[in-house]
Amino acid sequence: MASLFNAQSMLDQPSYSFAQPTSHSEPRQHSFYPYTDNGGSTLGISGQDFAILAGDTRSTSGYNINTRYAPKLFKIGGDGPNNTGSKIVLSVVGFAADGRALKERLDTVVKMYKYQHGKDISVGACAQRLSHILYSKRFFPYYVTAILGGIDEEGKGALYSYDPVGSYEREQCRAAGAASSLIMPFLDNQVNLKNQYDASQPQGFGKEPLKPQPLSRPHVESLVNDAFTSAVERHIEVGDGLQMMIITKDGIEETYAPLKKD
Amino acid sequence: MIYQTGALGEDGIHLDMNHLKSGEVNLGTSIMAINFRDGVILGADSRTTTGAYIANRVTDKLTQVHDTIWCCRSGSAADTQAVADIVQYHLGMYGITNDEAPTTQTAAALFQELCYENKDMLSAGIIIAGWDHRHGGQVYSIPLGGSLHKQAYAIGGSGSTYIYGYCDANWKEDMSEADGIKFVKGALQEAIKWDGSSGGVIRMVVLTKSGAVRHLYLPDRNYEGPGTEKP
Amino acid sequence: MPGFDFSNHNRNIALHAKGVPLPKATSTGTTIVGALYDGGVVIAADTRATSGPIVADKNCEKLHYISPQIWCAGAGTAADTEFTTAIISSNLELHSLSTGRKPRVVTVMTMLKQHLFRYQGHIGAYLVVAGCDPTGAHLFTVHAHGSTDKLPYVTMGSGSLAAMSVFETQWKPNLSRDDAVKLCADAIEAGIWNDLGSGSNVDVCVITPEKTTLLRNFKTPNTREKKQRDYKFKRGTTAVLNEKVITKEQISKYVTVHDIGDGKAGVGEKMDVDTQPSAPS
Repeated sequence: MASLFNAQSMLDQPSYSFAQPTSHSEPRQHSFYPYTDNGGSTLGISGQDFAILAGDTRSTSGYNINTRYAPKLFKIGGDGPNNTGSKIVLSVVGFAADGRALKERLDTVVKMYKYQHGKDISVGACAQRLSHILYSKRFFPYYVTAILGGIDEEGKGALYSYDPVGSYEREQCRAAGAASSLIMPFLDNQVNLKNQYDASQPQGFGKEPLKPQPLSRPHVESLVNDAFTSAVERHIEVGDGLQMMIITKDGIEETYAPLKKD
Repeated sequence: MIYQTGALGEDGIHLDMNHLKSGEVNLGTSIMAINFRDGVILGADSRTTTGAYIANRVTDKLTQVHDTIWCCRSGSAADTQAVADIVQYHLGMYGITNDEAPTTQTAAALFQELCYENKDMLSAGIIIAGWDHRHGGQVYSIPLGGSLHKQAYAIGGSGSTYIYGYCDANWKEDMSEADGIKFVKGALQEAIKWDGSSGGVIRMVVLTKSGAVRHLYLPDRNYEGPGTEKP
Repeated sequence: MPGFDFSNHNRNIALHAKGVPLPKATSTGTTIVGALYDGGVVIAADTRATSGPIVADKNCEKLHYISPQIWCAGAGTAADTEFTTAIISSNLELHSLSTGRKPRVVTVMTMLKQHLFRYQGHIGAYLVVAGCDPTGAHLFTVHAHGSTDKLPYVTMGSGSLAAMSVFETQWKPNLSRDDAVKLCADAIEAGIWNDLGSGSNVDVCVITPEKTTLLRNFKTPNTREKKQRDYKFKRGTTAVLNEKVITKEQISKYVTVHDIGDGKAGVGEKMDVDTQPSAPS
């Protein structure tokens, strides 16, 4: 409640109404906390022959905006510093500095793979490698939730989601970051058709749940757009811009659309 | 379970004087008051802070509690304003009921009563200066614990630590008004220069037989003016 | 047993000891400002209320009525700003009735600071008090701990730094009414864009000795855009497992039933919902 003039306090604790009985006479231990939550949200959806990753471009700390354009989506592999011809995308949300470090490491590993084996890494192998990188810092983790997207060896859209220490899983769709609790239920309902039953069948216990169908690219793109414009309305750390990367067999298409800036 | 609310230490006796409730508005201050030939001069900087933010850069820390009894406030803005308001009320009542203006000593005693009895709840360092018919000019200081000291001159607030040497070297008894103003201004300029919590303009009040006169000295005029003129 | 019941107190202590946090209050991590001008005073506020990082209300009112010519902008804990201004407004009216005089802004400021000081900052109300009275136009800030300031232009709340940067670069003496309104709205907008605790719309209140003008949603730079898809579900999408009909006659055994608007559905009550510009059908 006394947080008006101290934007930091938003980060430190859930706000208790009882004042902590602090005695200033005792020695106080100062410590360095190396993590910051930079807010923002990401999401990924895989389709029949494509995968989409999206993220807002706002970077925050406390009540401040660091920048209105800090991409959370990174191309992995391909050639040169611009990752020309890459077909894998990594999205990271959480602590931006760790996100960059993680991307840098995975990108190097993927480029080294091609140099050593003379062929592109598969998304499956890349996904497992990312898991190992994350677990290698088990006791000083990369403070990020990552989502990896690409096209698998059968030409299907592939999407892998991670926790900060490397537990991972291939999924249809996943939302991560600040507004994940707002976006994920929407995705469950609209992509996996959860809580939706066959309207044509008679009411009662026999009603069958709707079965998820592969979604078309324009359909998924509009879902992503709506997910973010809604998250912007109700989450203060999400906004400014929406970056999207669509991975197909032909490569990566990148789009940017402005979001509300308040 | 007992919740500790005050600033009492583990032994329940010793106080932590440097506490401020979180988010509280602080007068990290440079204040002083001096005696001179015809009365007293009060002086103060004008900075109020909440953490690193300057909440008010033209604060008036010189507060009138009676016609020719004023005080300089340092510490918590809320606490010192509340104390000054209570004293102002009592002195006003005293003046009317006794049909005679209260003395500076009376005012100082009132301040001390409040500051001493509520020492566990207050962070207030106050300098009281006034002119009355019985004793002429007088300066009193009430530091954090609530003790009362009659002094030739008094300095207070976080900025005062930088000017003990200056004041000791330049202080003279029975200065003229011009010399008194020069002394106060010189001291406060040093305090503002060295103390990050002090700054802004220099305000002064000169209290003599003929009443109270306000002075203002602006940093963009190198603290030379406008003095008693309107800015 | 007569007397107070303190069992909840013990329960709360036990819960708190177990590490259960108290319910989070809605805070108006806010930008509020005020400025004096030639012939009156302007105050303004944003309209976002937050609970942690979640937007609790996109269009709340932070400008509070004290008396016809005295208004208050509030930051801090939403409930505290609402109740303190309401109680002072109430007491001020009684005071005004008993003295037979028009209420003064200093009176409001004094009542507020004494009320807040008594609660030692536990009432989290940060206020900008403004108004016109027989002694002129006045502007004050009151902090939760009970300290006050009197200045020609003021800002408060988490967006106060953004707003003050506008005032400190653009403010000049002897503003006109329109310039003062523009300046205050710009200061609020700085908070809306640059402070995450502030957002949505700008509310403005202009007070002159003659009249008070409340400009609710003076600026709306954050209207919601249209969704790309239609999210209407086909009738029957939700499985109904059980159905029970309770008639009006059955209900009226327990409560009194009134018909409003010829018994037509949805006439009596209209919910205040977010209106979307041209909602998809």
